[in-house]
Amino acid sequence: MTKKKKSIISDQRFIVLLVIIALTAVFSIMSKEFRQYTTLLSMLDFSYYDLLMAIGVTFPLITGGVDLSIGTGMVCYALIAGTMVRSHGWPVAAAMVLCLVLGLVIGALNGVLIGIMNLPPFLATLCTCMITRGAGSLCSATPWPGLTQDGGWFHSIFKITVGTGRSASRYPIGFLWMVLLVLLMEFVLNHTKFGRYTIAIGSNKEAAALSGINVKFYHVMVYVVCGLFVGLAAIAYAAVTPTVQPGTGAGLEMDAIGGVFVGGVAATGGYGSVIGTFVGIFVIMLLKTGLPYVGLQANWQQIITGLVLIVAVLIDIIKEKKKAAM
Amino acid sequence: MGDVILTMKDIDKSFPGVHALDHVNFEVRRGEVHALMGENGAGKSTLMKVLTGIYQKDSGSITYKGQEVAFHNTREAQDNGIVIVHQELNMVGDLTVAQNIFIGREPKKGIRVDDKKMIEDSKKLFQDLNIEIDPREKMSNLTVGKQQMCEIAKAISHKAEVIIFDEPSAALTEKEIADLFVIIRDLREKNYGIVYISHRMDEIKMITDRVTVMRDGGYVGTLITKDSTKEDIINMMVGRVIYEDPKDHSMVAPDAPVVLKVEHLNAGKMVQDVSFELRKGEILGFSGLMGAGRTETARALFGADPKQSGKISIMDKQSGQLKEVTINSPQDAVKYGIGYLSEDRRRYGVVVQKSVNENTTLATMEEFTNGIFINKAKEKQVSEKYIKELATKTPSGDQLVVNLSGGNQQKVVIAKWLTRDSDILIFDEPTRGIDVGAKNEIYKLMSKLAAEGKSIIMISSEMTEILRMSDRIIIMCEGKVTGNIDISEATQERIMDKATRNID
Amino acid sequence: MEKLKQNPIVKKLGLNRILLVCILILMFVVFKVVLGSKFPVGDSIKSTLNYVYFLGFLSLGVTFVIATGGIDFSIGPVMFCCALVSGYCMTSYKVPCVAAMVICVLIGLAFGIFNGWLVSYLSVPPFIVSMASMNIAKGIASVFTKTQSVSWPLASDPTNGWFRNIVSYKGFPVGLVIFLVMAVICGIVLYNTKPGRYILCLGSNTEAVRLSGVDTKKWNMLAYIICGFLVGIAALFFVATYTTVQPGYGDQYNNEAIAGCVMGGTSMVGGLASIGGTVIGVFIISLLQQGIMAFGLGKGQQMIITGIIVIVAVYADVSARRRKN
Repeated sequence: MTKKKKSIISDQRFIVLLVIIALTAVFSIMSKEFRQYTTLLSMLDFSYYDLLMAIGVTFPLITGGVDLSIGTGMVCYALIAGTMVRSHGWPVAAAMVLCLVLGLVIGALNGVLIGIMNLPPFLATLCTCMITRGAGSLCSATPWPGLTQDGGWFHSIFKITVGTGRSASRYPIGFLWMVLLVLLMEFVLNHTKFGRYTIAIGSNKEAAALSGINVKFYHVMVYVVCGLFVGLAAIAYAAVTPTVQPGTGAGLEMDAIGGVFVGGVAATGGYGSVIGTFVGIFVIMLLKTGLPYVGLQANWQQIITGLVLIVAVLIDIIKEKKKAAM
Repeated sequence: MGDVILTMKDIDKSFPGVHALDHVNFEVRRGEVHALMGENGAGKSTLMKVLTGIYQKDSGSITYKGQEVAFHNTREAQDNGIVIVHQELNMVGDLTVAQNIFIGREPKKGIRVDDKKMIEDSKKLFQDLNIEIDPREKMSNLTVGKQQMCEIAKAISHKAEVIIFDEPSAALTEKEIADLFVIIRDLREKNYGIVYISHRMDEIKMITDRVTVMRDGGYVGTLITKDSTKEDIINMMVGRVIYEDPKDHSMVAPDAPVVLKVEHLNAGKMVQDVSFELRKGEILGFSGLMGAGRTETARALFGADPKQSGKISIMDKQSGQLKEVTINSPQDAVKYGIGYLSEDRRRYGVVVQKSVNENTTLATMEEFTNGIFINKAKEKQVSEKYIKELATKTPSGDQLVVNLSGGNQQKVVIAKWLTRDSDILIFDEPTRGIDVGAKNEIYKLMSKLAAEGKSIIMISSEMTEILRMSDRIIIMCEGKVTGNIDISEATQERIMDKATRNID
Repeated sequence: MEKLKQNPIVKKLGLNRILLVCILILMFVVFKVVLGSKFPVGDSIKSTLNYVYFLGFLSLGVTFVIATGGIDFSIGPVMFCCALVSGYCMTSYKVPCVAAMVICVLIGLAFGIFNGWLVSYLSVPPFIVSMASMNIAKGIASVFTKTQSVSWPLASDPTNGWFRNIVSYKGFPVGLVIFLVMAVICGIVLYNTKPGRYILCLGSNTEAVRLSGVDTKKWNMLAYIICGFLVGIAALFFVATYTTVQPGYGDQYNNEAIAGCVMGGTSMVGGLASIGGTVIGVFIISLLQQGIMAFGLGKGQQMIITGIIVIVAVYADVSARRRKN
């Protein structure tokens, strides 16, 4: 019994949870505005796409790779799909499907470049990052339908609005979907062949191959799954961004990847958890939301995310070193 | 002992330039432990690789359960019930024990992997083997011994009938070995055919029923273990005539000063309380079996790996006195005039994508720079001097090292340390992977260096090499020094005896 | 082909480099023929050169890092950070122009030291370090300038306009001269000095170099420092050509710089680097950008094409290496 207790306390996810509580407490004490429901609401609104990207990129990171194209990819899909709705009269549902398909295609491209052609992951995805960013900037700034417009129903996926105007009450239903998705992907990671082989590739690719696993196939699939989640993120992004701007999206991958590392994925792969990613993202989101309330400009958040990423990775490296020394 | 389950007859296998297996015979019965013995490079592993389909035989036949078979890969051999428990463990450290045992063939329940069943099955496997391991434990948290047990469990779960243990005890502690033997005996009871590859004489006596000895890729003979003595087996292993004359007496002057003194060196499990002295102009041979801790000793001495304790003293060039030094990194070692020539030249010795010239000066850059620029003319001159002196076969000093043969790569590494004017050279398996002609050249070179006053530590697993080159021989076994004999008193049998764990 | 390879002049110059120059010339000719008057020779060369200046320094810098087997894709944002912070010092704190230029280079150096220390001494994987410092650079620039764009003095500025002479003086391309001189210096450092020798060797086989008694961590870090320094210089050339810098950008130049470098024959696996190749690669990339623009295509297509080029170049490198082993 004592053993179990110990493992909870030393679990990074638990520590991160404490950090979340501490941050919330600090921000709440220091700022009255922060305590308001609308703040929570807007934080949740903007966390969905980050979280979806982060869930996706958790898998490449567990294999010891990375996907740098998630940020620009997401914006690119939202732009292309939005253009289809605006200029070609596609129904919103079709546009959403298009987002997913585009995500799958770019994911598969990444997978083939990395898993089959053996390019270094950061370089291959840096290129697809540029390509998706370029493709995105070929579109014009695209607003998806607003809440009250035709096709605006898709906003309700993430937030249910009852009533209109100022008196409307809003419920962040998206959070529920996120929890369900996180649980689903945690299940996939721990209880399916795909998840198991993802870990195996990150931990010891040679041994995995010697055990008769089709390593190439699963390596590609890891990036395909990541791409699918980026497609989902594109929908969530369109829902909170009034007008998606072409050429943006670079840097958004940082929040997601930073969150995953805070959640405790190993820097060299082989270990990670989707629940960890979930709590990790909220550290980033809290910083992003809370810092302006305590008088730091939003841009500080970029610097802090950068430092948080390095610290998170360093903690992992030091842990590994200690383990190796034992 | 039951009936014969596996027969390998007249197996022949050649690689370019090497006749690796020369008409070897081998058989395994149900319910026996059959030892496969021989020195390093005798062909034991190759034989097992032919059996499990990693290599294809050139000729001969393999009969398994009454049928002639030829496997094309380990998977096929596995499916037919022949499995190998490797010396290096093939484990995914981040997965649990159960997950590792069933990797690649997970039982499924709908879309999910049936972990419950895997854990149950693993528990049953461990129960049958009388091992206590929690199948839910992460593999990387287990000791090497326990990991080995998991490998065995994995092997058995393949419905194996023949299990090959490739030096299973190499990384295990005494206690773990005892546990392993309990399991092996148990498996014998259950009528498995077991092949046990090892160097360790006492283990062979303890656990095996028959011994097959190989030497130089050939089959020497098979003995019933309980009817034969240790000496019988050693004689079969070394029995070859040595063509090159062994040294009969030390070439070191009796009053030669000690240049290096190592006292109570400890570094990890493989280097325990190692002490020795090296004298000027001496070739000090380090003999022992694979995994005896010789390379580890050298690396710790050289600062390449961390050490826990130990005192190292080196003769000061000016005063001629021994002085204690701290060596925490290769930089320190090089500063004190030690050079290390690794057995794995491509990984630790040369930078293969660079030229002979560049490699020659790698450890001595300071002397080849005027201010900040590299004096390429001087570099070329020195490099060419050594090319000539060591008779390195290369079209020019600009040739990339990757294009040279093993022997010539070794000469480049030697040149690197001679350029540095290192007084103490550690040769780790100096002639591994080098053909016979080049070997002789390296030997001559080493003798010449010693005659010129360099002191040499030579780690070698080849008995002939040890007897031919060394002035004195240190024998190691399991991280400890088990013998220190002068060449005039050294015989193959004596060395082998000490190397197989007989501390006198 | 084999015969051509054995030709002494070809051998001296390197077949790859000759091919690259041919590609460069061919590209130019194709652009001219296809685009005609939309691709005026003089202006095109001038705008290509302007692009070459800053991109060239970035490429030279990252060549050192890639030679060690590492990577740095924070160079674009770091360049912007240098230009923004030092420019802001000049416009808002009235720091003299010379001092601002020095600050600019120092910031680049600081990032180089930071990245190098993390990679070499703390063994953080280079791609993570790049990601982090990319963010940090963008953040610092935005915070410092309060998210305002910064304009460096114009040529007409009586007191500080002189600094634009580093690019061109009375029509003479000073920038080209400086760039080529710097390339030669980089070449000398990489091929003819001890640090360069160590950097190349450790990129090829770190362990063998360490066992030769070399402090590999120190020299590995140095590569990042050199890179940082050159990024600082690149920033100066950027503002001397394009005047205004906006915070939050600069990512795209990462890829273009790496593209120039890898195209020129520097191997992503480390150990092999060609400064000459990088120079030609930079010219090709820069000309390509001008060509794409002349075709009436925008930044978008530029990025897509550069992305594809890097993939092809790296794949060629990876598969060539694999065939060798």
